[in-house]
Formats: sequence, structure tokens, C-alpha cells
Amino acid sequence: MKSLDLTERLGLVSYRNQAKSDIKPHIEVDTDICNSTCPHKCTTYVCPANCYTMDEDGQVHFQVEDCIECGTCMYACDQGAVDWNYPDPEIGRGVTWNFG
Amino acid sequence: MDEKFDCIIVGAGIAGLAAAMTLARNNMKFLLIEKGEFAGSKNVSGGVLWGSDLAKLVPEYWKEEDGGWERFINHRRLTFMDDQSTFSIDFKSSHFNETPYSGVVVLRSKFDRWLAGKVQDAIDESDYAMESFIATNIKVDEILMEDDKAVGIRTGEEEFHADSVIISEGVNNLLTRQVGLQDDYVPADHMLTGIKEVIRYDQKVLEDRFQLNGLSGMSNEFVGFATDGVEGGGFLYTNRDTISLGLVAGIKDMREKEKSPHDLLNTFKAHPVIQDTIQGGEVVEYSAHVVSSGDKRAMPKEVYKDGVLLCGESANLLMNAGKAIQGMDYAMRSGILGAETIIKAKERDDFTSNTLSEYKQALEDSYVMKDINSFQDAVHMLHNPTMYQDVPNLICDFGRKFFTIDSKPTKKSREMMKESIKEHSSYWDLMKIGFKGAKSL
Ligand SMILES: Cc1cc2nc3c(=O)[nH]c(=O)nc-3n(C[C@H](O)[C@H](O)[C@H](O)COP(=O)(O)OP(=O)(O)OC[C@H]3O[C@@H](n4cnc5c(N)ncnc54)[C@H](O)[C@@H]3O)c2cc1C
Ligand code: SF4
Ligand code: SF4
Repeated sequence: MKSLDLTERLGLVSYRNQAKSDIKPHIEVDTDICNSTCPHKCTTYVCPANCYTMDEDGQVHFQVEDCIECGTCMYACDQGAVDWNYPDPEIGRGVTWNFG
Repeated sequence: MDEKFDCIIVGAGIAGLAAAMTLARNNMKFLLIEKGEFAGSKNVSGGVLWGSDLAKLVPEYWKEEDGGWERFINHRRLTFMDDQSTFSIDFKSSHFNETPYSGVVVLRSKFDRWLAGKVQDAIDESDYAMESFIATNIKVDEILMEDDKAVGIRTGEEEFHADSVIISEGVNNLLTRQVGLQDDYVPADHMLTGIKEVIRYDQKVLEDRFQLNGLSGMSNEFVGFATDGVEGGGFLYTNRDTISLGLVAGIKDMREKEKSPHDLLNTFKAHPVIQDTIQGGEVVEYSAHVVSSGDKRAMPKEVYKDGVLLCGESANLLMNAGKAIQGMDYAMRSGILGAETIIKAKERDDFTSNTLSEYKQALEDSYVMKDINSFQDAVHMLHNPTMYQDVPNLICDFGRKFFTIDSKPTKKSREMMKESIKEHSSYWDLMKIGFKGAKSL
């Protein structure tokens, strides 16, 4: 069986409010912390949906759109940069699992 | 609404649904709130629901043609792996074919929704058919506290009031933290990321490959190379026409070893033995969710306070001691025990800690806390690299030697074992582990 890359995998996820262009992000990340004092920038590799990315200059960015609400970053970030919440059912994104 | 409920339950996962069923059957007026589109829509497990409590909630559930569950387990396998090989302990018995089953595989999006339907039936038959509700698509933002006693919940601008609140919000327990039962920041030390794929086959192919008969199913846990040096383990469970294949991997360990859960899953899938096992399937869902480890050090300070109880994984009630993950059965039992305490509190008209502390006692007296308490050493042992790395390597190395027939004089298995130990560990490390292991199991 061929392995799927992350884009293919996330393509199988059903997200809520997909039609809405203007969603309210449920997680807020203080990227000033990421880009100043964080020694490991671990969320860029432990997030299973790759919501935390690092650009060529080593700067960390956060995009909430693909988030599957797993909770990993809430524990993994020991720098106090992650303000974690669940998405709002009406104006947030988040998942609806088909199998779960 | 100024109506006051006997109880508001936050979260329609296993714990919340079990609590709701118990309240409905006892004619209590309650509100069960779920943020997902429907019960189960936000939930992920492996998952085998172990034990027989389901039969208490839904008597003779196995008679239903298309109940919410996938298959019952009559075949169990524990596999040790190195990078090339697997060495399994395999047990199958028709003893497990008898009802009530001792384990059923579930897919949560289907199972929780089905169970919620049963809860609705129970509500319909209760005295509060028109006054108890399951409300979906609503996120609870805050537990309302008055003089440090829970009196209801807030969602957006709206408030609902009740004599008691059951928090069954699962492991990512924001409300548990808000009421002060858990620290605001929970470190990664005893938390794992569970990650999985659901892979579909032609049902006949699946049944032939895994030697399934009717609705029988197999559970397989993996230790060793499965997580590529990260603490944790792997699992494979058979559903009707899919399998659930995944890993649980320590978050702190991934942080330190710079590993990604999705890469680990691909490494696991690329293992030669796993490749043969899963070939020909089509991935139909990819999912992930945090899961606790069963380490008591991660548990909330207390499971109750005035007006509020914690049920299920919001209290980190879970056990992962290698041979199975038990979170759903603990959630179910604790939900039932929590609801029973609320019923007592109503009889006494006392929702303070005086009565609610009886929930803690009931939990301590049940198999849930008895097992969590007596298997702490086993839980710690699983987080020991000797256990998740050296031992599987050693066992596989021994297996390779033992099963090799290569036209050379064969050594006695004692010799083989000695060599394998020398190569992968030390007698001293094994002594330590063996000593702990003997005590812990
Ligand atoms: C990959 C993986 C494999 C696992 N395998 C197994 C297994 O094989 N066997 C097993 O027994 N256990 C397994 N577990 C553990 C098991 O899934 C959990 O222990 C179990 O789901 C806990 O049940 P719960 O009812 O406490 O919480 P959950 O199932 O998490 O339910 C909590 C519910 O509360 C809702 N909620 C949360 N906050 C709010 C809010 N503010 N407002 C409204 N609703 C809210 C959520 O949407 C959810 O529906 C596994 C876990 C993972 C991640
Ligand atoms: S671990 Fe925290 S501080 Fe570091 S990059 Fe990730 S979110 Fe930022
Ligand atoms: S909750 Fe999970 S998926 Fe969402 S950003 Fe955090 S780690 Fe990524």
C-alpha cells in the first residue's frame, strides 16, 4: 500500500463551515514567542495537521484552517505561546469525523 | 429558559452518554450538551470498548441487526517488533464468542451517535420526556460558579442553570481547568498523541485475511519499532469492512526526539510485516486525538467539588499498560457512577461535596481506580526505553535465531537467548525491568 502524504490525508477530513471564508480561529498563537525565545519550535513537527510551519528564514507561522482539534499543541508548547480552545460550532472551523 | 435542571452534562462522549442514560432511566431532568454536529462527530478512539458495561446500558445490544458497534473481539494478539520482524503472542478462543461480549470494536462517529439514539429513547420513556434534552452544536464556554459551587453553564450569551454539572468533556479538559480541578497548563510528560487511519477493503477480503467469522474481530497491539524509538505503541483493530490502524506516541518524547506523528505512522505502515498485512486497502480517513497515559501524576487534583463531578477522560481515567488501551470502558463506568451519585444527591437535596464525594469513593471501589492504582508500575514501565525498545529488539532477535534453519549446527535456545540479550540489552537492565515487571503485572 502506498503511503499518503499529509496533504492527501487531510484531503480525507471533513471540515465544518468550509463554505465560510471568514471563520473565527479557535487557537491563537503568540508567534513572537515562537520567533524569539522558543528553543525547539516543536509544534512545527508534532502537529499532525501541519498547522505550524517554518519558512526559509526559520520563522514560525500558524494557520488554523487544517486543525483537526487533536489537542497536541496545547501540551507540546511549554513556552506559553498557545491559547487553545475548541472551535465555535457556527463560526469556527473544526472537524466532523466520518468514522472516528 | 429559567427552568432549572437536576443536572447538566457537558460532552456527549462515552462518559456523558453513560451518565445521561443512567439519569434518564431514573427519571431525572437533565440537559446533555455536545459541541459537535452530532454525538461522536468530534471523537476518535482506536478503538475497542472493553468489558461488559455496554450490556447494562443497552441490554442485548448484540441482537440488533445494525447496532453501533463493528465486531466483537475473540482474537487477541500482542506483537513485538524490530525493523524487520515481528514476534507475536496470539490468543484466539471461542470462549469469547459468548454474549455479553468482553470487547467490541467501535468507530466513534457511528457508535456514539447510535448510543445517543438509545439515550433519547430512554428520555422519551421517562417522566421528563419533554423537559430533558440532548442539545448538539452547542459549545459550553464556562461553568457558572457561585461561592465556588457549580450552578450551571454559559454558552455564548445564554445561561442554563442546574443543581449539578457533570463534566465529561474528554482529555482536553478546558472546563475542568476553569473550575480549578486541574492546572491551567498540563505538561506533555504523560500525554500522547493518538493517530490513525481507517483503511477500507472488500469485506470478504478483510474477513479472509484476518480469519473473521460472522461478526468476530481481532485486536492487535504492537510494541517496539512501531513507534520508531518514541514511547508508545501501535494498534490494529478490525471493523466491518475497514481496519483501524494507528499509533499512540508520547508528546514529550516526540518533542525531544524531533519526530512527527504522521511520519511515525508512515514508518509503521512501511514495516515489511505491516505492509503485507494491510496491502490492497484504501485509506478513507486520517485522524488524531490526544490520549492520556494512565499515569496518576497527570490526574486532576480531585474528581468532584461542590455541584460538579468529573467523568471519563476529563479526569484522565485511562489505562495503557501495553496489552490494551482502556479509556472508553472507564469512561462508561465513571459516567454511570457519577450519575448514580447525582441521583443520591437529589434524594438528599444536597449537591455539595458532602454527597458528591461519594462518587470518588464509588470510583475507588470500582475496577477503574483499583486497576489504575495497582498497575501504576506497569504504566511507568511502558515508558521505559528498555521496555519499548530493547525488549522488542531482543525478542525479535531471539525469534530470528530460533526459527532459522540454515544447515549449520543449531545452538540450544538458552545460548540463543544469551546472545540476543548481550546484543540488545544487559542482564542488569533486564533484571531491573524483570523485577519491576514481576511486581507490576
Ligand atoms: C488513537 C486513540 C486510540 C484509542 N484507543 C482506545 C481503545 O482501543 N479502547 C479504549 O477504551 N480507549 C481508547 N482510546 C481512549 C478513548 O478514546 C477515550 O478514553 C474516551 O474516548 C474517553 O471518553 P470520554 O467520554 O471521557 O471523552 P470523549 O470521548 O473525548 O468525549 C468528550 C465529549 O465532550 C464534548 N465536549 C468537550 N468539550 C465540550 C464543550 N465545552 N461543550 C460541549 N461539548 C464538549 C466533545 O465534543 C466530546 O463529544 C483511544 C484514544 C485515541 C486517541
Ligand atoms: S512550541 Fe510554542 S513557542 Fe515554540 S514554536 Fe511551537 S507554539 Fe511557538
Ligand atoms: S490541535 Fe492538533 S491539529 Fe490543531 S493545531 Fe494543535 S496540534 Fe495541530
